[in-house]
Amino acid sequence: MCASASNRPPAIELQGLRKCYGGKVALDGLNLVVPSGCFFGFLGPNGAGKTTTIRILIGLTAPSAGSVRLLGLPMPGKAFEVKRRIGVVPEDSLLFDRLTGAEFLQFAARLYGLGGEVAAHRAAELLALFELDKHPRKLIGEYSKGMRKRLMMAAALIHRPELLLLDEPFEGVDAIGARLMKDLLAAQVRRGATVFLTSHVLEVVERLCDRVAILHQGRLLLEAGVSELRQAAESLEDVFVRVVGAAQSGHKLEWL
Amino acid sequence: MRSAVPLLRVILWAQWRSVANLRVSEGAWGRWLAALAALLWYGLWTAMALGAAVLLAEPSRQQLALVVPWGLLSVFLYWQLAPLITASLGAALDLRRLAVYPVPENALFQAEVLLRLVTTPEMSLVLAGSVLGLLRNPAVPRWSPLLALPLFALFNLLLSAGLRGLLEGLFARRGVRELAAFVLVLAAATPQLLLLAGPPGFLREVALRAPPVYWPWVCFGRLSIGWFGPQDWALAGVWMAAAYIFGRTQFQRVLRAGQAWAATGADRRPRELSRDRQQVGLLSCWLGDPLGVMVEKELRSLARSPRFRLVFLMGFSFGFLIWLPLVRHRGLFWENYPILVATYAVLLLADILFWNAFGMDRAAVQFWFIAPVPLRRVIQAKNIAGAMLAFVEVSFVLGICALLGVRTGWAKVAETYAVTLSLSLYLLAAGNLSSVWLPRPVDPEQSWARASAGRFQLLVLVVYPLLGAPIGLAYWFRYALASQTAFLIQLALAALLGVLLYRLWLGKAVELAHQRKEAILRAMTESGGPVLMR
Repeated sequence: MCASASNRPPAIELQGLRKCYGGKVALDGLNLVVPSGCFFGFLGPNGAGKTTTIRILIGLTAPSAGSVRLLGLPMPGKAFEVKRRIGVVPEDSLLFDRLTGAEFLQFAARLYGLGGEVAAHRAAELLALFELDKHPRKLIGEYSKGMRKRLMMAAALIHRPELLLLDEPFEGVDAIGARLMKDLLAAQVRRGATVFLTSHVLEVVERLCDRVAILHQGRLLLEAGVSELRQAAESLEDVFVRVVGAAQSGHKLEWL
Repeated sequence: MRSAVPLLRVILWAQWRSVANLRVSEGAWGRWLAALAALLWYGLWTAMALGAAVLLAEPSRQQLALVVPWGLLSVFLYWQLAPLITASLGAALDLRRLAVYPVPENALFQAEVLLRLVTTPEMSLVLAGSVLGLLRNPAVPRWSPLLALPLFALFNLLLSAGLRGLLEGLFARRGVRELAAFVLVLAAATPQLLLLAGPPGFLREVALRAPPVYWPWVCFGRLSIGWFGPQDWALAGVWMAAAYIFGRTQFQRVLRAGQAWAATGADRRPRELSRDRQQVGLLSCWLGDPLGVMVEKELRSLARSPRFRLVFLMGFSFGFLIWLPLVRHRGLFWENYPILVATYAVLLLADILFWNAFGMDRAAVQFWFIAPVPLRRVIQAKNIAGAMLAFVEVSFVLGICALLGVRTGWAKVAETYAVTLSLSLYLLAAGNLSSVWLPRPVDPEQSWARASAGRFQLLVLVVYPLLGAPIGLAYWFRYALASQTAFLIQLALAALLGVLLYRLWLGKAVELAHQRKEAILRAMTESGGPVLMR
């Protein structure tokens, strides 16, 4: 259940969001409200428009039509204020390869307005928490994929954001790292932050999230509380397959 | 065995599609500008080729026997040294990624050799013009140029492929690359040093003397004019075989390295970073965050990039040597030697620091759009870091001038700083626009690779004279009007104009960056085709 407080505006509010790439429609009139304090799972098959949505939310892509409000503020109009209050783990790497993990975290913290000492202190703590402190002088360019994801998560958390936008955050992360990240995200929601997450691992989404939305071909097909789905005695995977994928499973290749 | 031709076709098709798709994403302006730059550059070389076609049509074979080998030597030097001088190796197969496919090694080698044509197509034009000229010359048998000059081109292609492999291997190793750069500098400087050390008239004497027949440009030259003995054929064969063996062995070495990478997926060996550069933390105290921390990040990243370190080293070492021939007679150029070298060094650095400022951030460039920092500050931070490093480079140049006994009084030192920093203002102003307009991802591990797009290198040839004109005008005042005062006033005006231009174009660059945000992100995250441009 989302711990939404009535006096707080929705964390995310999308109205009639549309994005076209040439003739291809990536998002087709998306309307979505994510309450504050919610752990929200944003699902869809490959190419559904999830990453496009996240890129629009964080201002990397401009929508063709529609409006976006994050934490009650319009985007991109109040982008600067919004960016200070959100943490992002995008699908692509945001990391500068020629810095060490500690340097990058301090760098990110100071850009978020933290003082030098606080930045260094938090960076050290986060590195230890994410078990990235074994090789303090190793450059990020030499990190494995899982280490890079963990570092991105640490950078997204360092300024204690009110809203976390996470695009496939567990991809490439080992079981221990993933468990740590899940616990941390759950703790963020308990303290009142909102987590907006995309993932293809439906079991994880089902276990962590309060609400889910399923996007397909740029359109919102379903939005519901996870508890409502459970009452219908269906797993999230069953719902997902029923909603977006049933027609595709019948084809078999003779030669394969 | 499968034929190499279809595989070659597939590789080149994939590359063509990669380039074509990129071109589509650039928009009409980018395409037009690229076409204009290419027209200017290749127009120049076509004119030279036509000149060769006209000039070689008349002389007797005795005269040709003196002229053609020197012409071929120039072609040879350009072909082999142009990548060194511009610190870029040109196009090459991305063997790391191709290594996983069942492509015969022979086909890969053929493709690699053909790609050497792309590195210096200018020389193909000049050779084509020479063939045309010799064909029109009644004293030359028709078959000679048609056979000998394409063979000379092939010799250059093979040698160039080998050199590329050798350089790539050398520059991939930490510690070795600095030594290799030094040896290369010395090797490239040897002819200049010999000329300088020789007696007066040495150059003229050498030029008029018939060159020794065993050099490749001589034997291929003699073959091309149909004036040869059996030893010329034998020598040409030996040179061809040597170039083939060299090219092939170097290629195999690079290929093995690529296969090892593909098998392990390990991009580079893990290493411990040396204790460095905590001192840059002081910058935050001076500049304040977020500007300070961003400048720190730039300085740290650049200092750890082999690519940057090599160019930085070349600026004050290679720069000294390649301009030596100009100062033989201790005239105008000798007087301004530190300025000449410092300007060359700054122009060389500009490729990394100014023209493609986001290049080494690659996919992480999106961080700048997500972070709560105005993009104007981000660009300013990159500019401050670039200017600081250019300042350090100029200081190195002046220090070495002092060590070598080049006359550098305080006035000349001040002039060198004033000129190079004024020039840097213009480069930064134009570079900010190009950084957001023609961004290109750059691997900082690649020591020997261009930071800006190839077409931009062509454009730079047009842009540099324009950007340097206000400063050039100051020198014109000094020498044509013999007025130091006029020189200083114009230099001050040039610096002022530089500041104004910088401010104006910085605003435009920020605006353009916001407009082209998606195109920038796409360009910086896109991987290329099977051919790498370096």
